[in-house]
This record gives sequence, structure tokens and C-alpha cells, in this order.
Amino acid sequence: MFGNIAITAGLIFSMFTIIMYYFSFKGYNNTLKYARLGYHSMTIFVIIASALLMHAILTHQYEYKYVFNYSNAELPTGLLMSTFYAGQEGSFMLWLLFTSIVGLVLLEYTSKREDLEPRVMMIFTLAAAFLLLMVSPMLKNPFSFIWADPTFVEIKHLNQSFLSMSFLQNFIFQDPGSGQSFVRLSPEFMGTLSANGIAFEDFLIKGKGLNPLLQNFWMQIHPPILFVGFSMATVPFAFAFAALLKNEYRDWVKQALPWVLSGTMVLGLAIMLGGYWAYGVLGWGGYWGWDPVENSSLVPWIVGVASVHTLLIQKKTQAKGGTGRFGKTNLILAIMTYLLVLYSTFLTRSGILGDASVHSFAEPGMLVYWLLILFVGFFTLLGIGGIIYRWKYLEMHFNYEEDLLSRELALFTGAIALIASALIITVGTSAPIFGTSVEISFYNELNLPIAIIIGVLNGFSLLLKWKQTKGESILKNSKFAIISTLTATLLMIVLGGLYDFMLILLALSVNFTIFVNAEIAYKIWKGKKNYIGAYIAHIGFAVFLLGALASGSFAKDEQLDLAKGESAEVFGHSLTFLGYTPIENGTKYAFNIEVDKNGSKNIVSPVMYIAEFNNSLMREPDIWNRLTDDFYISPVGYEDGSSRSSDAGQSIMMRKGETKQFNGLSITFDSFNFPPEAMAAMQSGGDFYIGAKMTVSDGNRTVNLEPKLQNKNGQRSFVPDMIDDMNLKVNLENLDASGNVQVIFSTLDETTKTVLAPKEVLTIEASIKPFINLVWAGVLIVVLGFSIAAVRRTKESRA
Amino acid sequence: MKNKYLIGGFIIVVFLGLMGYLFTQTNVAYENNFAEIKHTDKTIKATGAWVKSKGYDIDNEKNLFSFYMIDNQGVELKVVYKGAIPNNFESSTSVVVTGKYKNGYFIASDILTKCPSKYEEQYTEDTASNI
Repeated sequence: MFGNIAITAGLIFSMFTIIMYYFSFKGYNNTLKYARLGYHSMTIFVIIASALLMHAILTHQYEYKYVFNYSNAELPTGLLMSTFYAGQEGSFMLWLLFTSIVGLVLLEYTSKREDLEPRVMMIFTLAAAFLLLMVSPMLKNPFSFIWADPTFVEIKHLNQSFLSMSFLQNFIFQDPGSGQSFVRLSPEFMGTLSANGIAFEDFLIKGKGLNPLLQNFWMQIHPPILFVGFSMATVPFAFAFAALLKNEYRDWVKQALPWVLSGTMVLGLAIMLGGYWAYGVLGWGGYWGWDPVENSSLVPWIVGVASVHTLLIQKKTQAKGGTGRFGKTNLILAIMTYLLVLYSTFLTRSGILGDASVHSFAEPGMLVYWLLILFVGFFTLLGIGGIIYRWKYLEMHFNYEEDLLSRELALFTGAIALIASALIITVGTSAPIFGTSVEISFYNELNLPIAIIIGVLNGFSLLLKWKQTKGESILKNSKFAIISTLTATLLMIVLGGLYDFMLILLALSVNFTIFVNAEIAYKIWKGKKNYIGAYIAHIGFAVFLLGALASGSFAKDEQLDLAKGESAEVFGHSLTFLGYTPIENGTKYAFNIEVDKNGSKNIVSPVMYIAEFNNSLMREPDIWNRLTDDFYISPVGYEDGSSRSSDAGQSIMMRKGETKQFNGLSITFDSFNFPPEAMAAMQSGGDFYIGAKMTVSDGNRTVNLEPKLQNKNGQRSFVPDMIDDMNLKVNLENLDASGNVQVIFSTLDETTKTVLAPKEVLTIEASIKPFINLVWAGVLIVVLGFSIAAVRRTKESRA
Repeated sequence: MKNKYLIGGFIIVVFLGLMGYLFTQTNVAYENNFAEIKHTDKTIKATGAWVKSKGYDIDNEKNLFSFYMIDNQGVELKVVYKGAIPNNFESSTSVVVTGKYKNGYFIASDILTKCPSKYEEQYTEDTASNI
């Protein structure tokens, strides 16, 4: 209730702010203070709405559908708080909250820089207004009451003591498929409930809870950081559009740079945390699966990185007066970064990816679908339209020729390569829109050569001087780097067994990047230390690529069974399954495995449990982290020795004429026994049977048997057949006209199976991930480099 | 000046060509009609629902996981997957398997399960009957 008032008030204030900023931009003097007041009011209402949602979650107010759907009282406080953004509604809310707060900083920042504020904040507030619209009542609103639309709630969520009350019986339904009972909540039901003097909070007492896959530490930090990154991606768009508005393209470059750098840094960190989550907890076995949702946050990051480089060229070339080079490119890239964030939101939130992604949301309803399209379309029109509108002017003022051996051209080519990579990923990710999809090799094969080109360009561009360079000086400057690169790569080939041609090229290019940057970083370290950011980031990127190369190409994995107490060998490790221990109050089981590598021992304990939430077996890997490699164990299954398959048994399909082996017997399905009178009876609805004729042989003799499909008094059933002295029972499960039958073979004395001495067997997948630590270290070094650069560029932006 | 556009254009054409080629090479189509799947040897993403009543089978020795899927038309398909049963499988509302149809089975290289947790309640008046 109050939440919706806050959201509506925020929406009204956002409109007011946009209008006031517009007037300020048009030259009115007295409107600026109203605009600021408006923006602050909007932010306060967004914070109030968020606080109310958080309060509703913490106090378990299940009358809110959102709170009921994603949380319950059993969650520890940290995870409970993270349910704030577990669903569509709340994650839009979180994005909105961060956007508003980023806007406060942006307001402060732009107000100190000439006439920047009205132009930038007008656009920025517009973005916030769209998010407010998204969470407003009627759309993805986290404050809608559970009974607003008729909702079926499983009985288990209710206070059991009310269930027998007579008025309730009219509202109880049963799903014939699952046999579960539901209560249908509706405004009408609420009337009845209060007429009987029952408070709703006493009636619905248990929330659905959080998906167990999300119940871990990373859920608490990955999404918030990602949304900070998304929020910050709005800023370059606002700056670029502000430049277009004023038709002045010089100053926005230095003003936007710190924002682009810090936004890219945050987004990069968020992506890595997501990768670590997938690797360490979800048990994907790797950190990157080219999943559409991962991709759609990676693409804006890549474009952001490209724009950092071209912005730097423009800034550098401004030194001699003028607006500098690559003005058009920079406008386009700054605008594209945000548009890609919106596009990715559309892809993952509209339900359009549907079957393609592990974590795409369900279809949100037509209204939201169209609002998402409007959101993307509106900003695309605004950004691209603005550039087209100014194109003639831009074309006249930004046209330069670069010398072939100039740092400008090398950087520009690098940016183009990055954009090519972004394009590839976007095409692959968007494929499901057209009812198709691409295999992972599409991404790998196309990005590998691009990574090689980027590595070479990275090192090479730094050896070049701005404007133009003489050929000899390059050779002179690169002596150390080239010799070190060749040595390091040779070592990798000889010692590491790197034989793939493309991967050798990648190693060459990555090593080149490292040595060129390291040499420069070393020199800078003795001089202007705050200039070192770029080189650190480059080294980090190269280290990451080395990690990706090693862990991707040299990972080994093998599935094996571990009988309790017996040791098994895999990849030079001796594994002994010690047994399991219940953890977390017996809700989960840790399977302890002693791993011995040349005398150094460690206990690795992957976890398995049945989650009440979805009634599924959940598995969590465990890792022995070591400096040069990870020993990674994913649990696969556990047998206590009694049975091996699910209740339905070993159901087998047989074609006509096919022979199967079972328990030392050969069983052949010969033909159907379909008497002519059965055909007539089938049409008239009378009694009939169809048999599946089989011959069974134990090597000495052959016996016939015939399980049947029977129709008696309108009831269909399957009649099994058995041969006592061969200890065989054949259950018919299904038959179809194309000539196939579905059967289950079993022995008559099923009990003999369980008499076998139970043997506890744990099945695991063990793998070695060499140098995976370089992946994490690389990204963290990149983040460090970006931070140093952001600090430096913030200082410069005031000049 | 002209050379610049010529070279640039050439690179773009080669790049797009390469991407287009790989796109068609690695392209996997979605199919929700199992009758169609049985007549093609292409790699396909088959979408359907797990036939719960038939259970599933785990062969630990060969590391195979198999189950039956059903499409909208009621056609069933036996799916065999080399690997472990995926998390969330039991509660999945729909399943997407990637692979090829061969010798009466669908050999899957990847299984993706969609679980109801991300979905709004899907019970409607039609599926639930009053008692």
C-alpha cells in the first residue's frame, strides 16, 4: 500500500524533474533548484519503497505475492535480505534503487562542471523514470497483494488449524495430475476470511522460500554488484546525449571517462563473481558457459572497454586544440553500452529466450513485454536518432587520416576487434529469437582469433608513439618484449605440452602483452605512479587469458565410483571415500573424500541433499584449491546398495524382431498378436486384447510368452506374462502401431536383489583445472588497473 | 582515402562471411514435434516434458541417464544422456535436450531443465478441479 504510494510519488517526481531540467537546459534560471529538489525527492521515495519492501521481507508479510513467492522464515538473515532481488519485480526495484543513488553522485559531479547538469540529468532521470514505470502498480510491482489476481496456494503453506473450517471448503481445489490440494486466493476469498474473523497473516504462514541454487554467499553479492554496473552504464549514454544536445563534443570526453572506467570495472567484477559462483557452487564445472544471461552482461562490458580506448584517443588528440579524433565512434560506443544493457534486459526478462537459458525469467505478461520493447526502442531512437540528427555536422568536423604506424590507429583497430567480438556474442545470444541457437563452439572458434589479434595489438600499440612512429624505433623498443615472449612461449610448448597451432598463437600474443606492459609498468612505477592503471589492467587481461587457455585446454575429467573404504586412483591422486556426515542440522550431507597427492592429504567434501523447495536432488561440488591447479570433485550419485533405479524400473523399448539380453536370457519380440475380431471390438468399444509375442531362450530351450494389452468393460490394462522356471517376468508398459513395445524385464524373486550385501558407493566426477587461479587473479588485476585509472581520470576531469 | 574504405570493407565482408558460415555450421534448431525429430539426423534441441510416470533410469556403470519425454502431440521420445542426472530434474516443468536421434533413442549431449521456481503459479481453473 505505502510501497505503491512511494513508487507512484517517485514516478511523478521523476517526470517533474525531467521537465524542470528541460527548462533549465532551455535557459530558464529559476528551474534548476526545482529540478534538484525533484530528483532528491524521487530518490527519497525510491529509497522508501525499497525499505518498505525489505521490511516486508524481513517481517514475512506474505500478503505480498513477491514476499510469499521468494522467501520464508527459515532463511538466515543474509539470504533473506537477498530475496529482495530473487524475482523479476525485486530485481527491477534494486536496479532502480542503484540508478537513483548513482544519479545522486552524478548530480553532484555534473553540478560542478559548467552547464553539464541539466542536459545529463534530464536523460539520466528519464532512464530512472522508465524503471519506476516498470515497478509501478499493474506492471512488475513487488507490492501487489497475493489475492489481487486469483492465485492457487498449496495447502502446506497455510495454517493447518484452519483447514477444517467449513467455509474454506468452497475454495479448496485439487490438481488431478499431482493430487495436491490448493486454496484459491481471491478478493472474494479475502472477504470470506475476514467475515470469519481470521487475519490473513495467521492464515498464510509459510512462504515458498528461495531456490536452493541461490542459497549461498554469492547470491548476496553478485546481483547487487551487477546492478550497480548496469546503473552506471546509463551515465556514458547521458553524457553522449548531452554532447549531442549542445552540439559540442570536446569536454564530455574527459568528463565521461572516469564514469566509463569505474562502470566497466564494476561490471567486470560482477561478471567474474558470477563466474566464480557457477564454478565453485553451482557445479557447472567451469566458470563460463556462454549462457545467454552471462553473455548479455558481457557484451556491454566489452563495448565499454572498447569505448575506454577510443575515448582516450580523443582526449589525447585534444591536447593540441580541437575536439580530437574518433568523436563519432565515441558517441556511438557510449550510447551502445547502455543500449546493450537494455537489450540484454529485454532478452532475459521478456521470456523471449524461453528454453534457451538456465536463468532466463518466465514470460512476464504482454504489458511488461511491450514496456520492455518501448524501453529499448525509446532509448535506441533517442541515441541513434540524436547521432543521425547531428551526422552532417559530425561528418564535417571529424575526419582525420591516421598514419599506419600510429598508436591511434592500433588502438582503434583494437577497439574494432573488441566490437567484432561483441557482435559475435550478440548474434549468438539473439539466435533464439529466430527459433534457433548456436553451439558453444560458435563463440569459442570466433573469439579465439580475436583474442589473438587483441593481444598482439595491445602490446604493439604501446610500442608505437602517438601520431607516427619510425620502423627502427619499434624494433629497438621491443627487443626485451620479443625475446621474453619467445622464451616464455617456448617454455609453454616444451614444458606444458602446448601443441595446438591456434593456442600457440594465443600464448605468443598473450605473453607479448604481458612483457610489453610489464616493462612499461616497471618504468612508470619509478615515475608517475598514478599513470600505471592501464598497464596493470592489460597485464590482468593477459593473465586472465593465460588462465582461460590453461584451464580450458588442459582440464581433465573422469567419472568414477568410490566404494566406501577402498581407494581409487585418478590423475595421480588417490581417493578414499570415508562416508558421509550430515551438515546444517541434517538437511544436507557432506560426502567426505580423502584425497592424497604424493603424500599431501586433504579432505574434499562435496555435498548432496534433497531440497524441500523443489523436491530435487541438489549437488554442490567441492574443490581442493592449490596454487597451480584445482582438484575439483562434483558428486554424481550415491548408492547405499539396495536399489539402482527409480520406481519405474528398467523400461526398455523393443522393435519387432529385436533381441535383448536379460539375466542370461535372450528375449526376442517377434510380432503383435492382433486378431481380426480385436479390430472390430476396438471400433465398437467392446472387449479385446492385443498381445506381444515373444520368444525366450536360455541357450538350451526356447519358450514363448505373450504379455497383453487388455480392454475389458472399457478399462484398459496391461497383463504381464512370466516363465517360472526361467525366473522371468515381462511387464508390458506400452505398445504403438509402428511396431514398438515398451517392456520391463524382471526376475520373479525380486527379493534376491536386496539380499545382496549393501555396498556404499559414491559416484563422482573428478577433474583437474590447471591454473584456474590465473582466471580469478587476472580479473582482479584488471579491476585494480581500472580503479587506478578511474582515480587518475577523475582528477583530470576537473581540469 | 579510397584504399582505407576498400580494405575496411574487405575485412568486414570476410568477417561477416566467416561469422555467417560458422553460424550455419553450429546452428541448432528447436523442435517441439518429436515425430519430426525421428526423421532427421541433425543436431536438434528438443523441447518437451519429462514423462514422470515412466520414471528415469540411471546406469552408473556406463554413466548413462535415460528418461522419456513427451511433446504437445503426445509423441514420446526416449532420451539417453551420458552423464549424471541434472540438478532440479525431478521438479522440472519442461526439459530441453540437445542431441541427435539415432537407433530409436535421442542421444543428448546437454539437458536443460526449467524449474517452476522461476515461474508464476501455473494452475488455472482448467487444470484444478473442485472437490
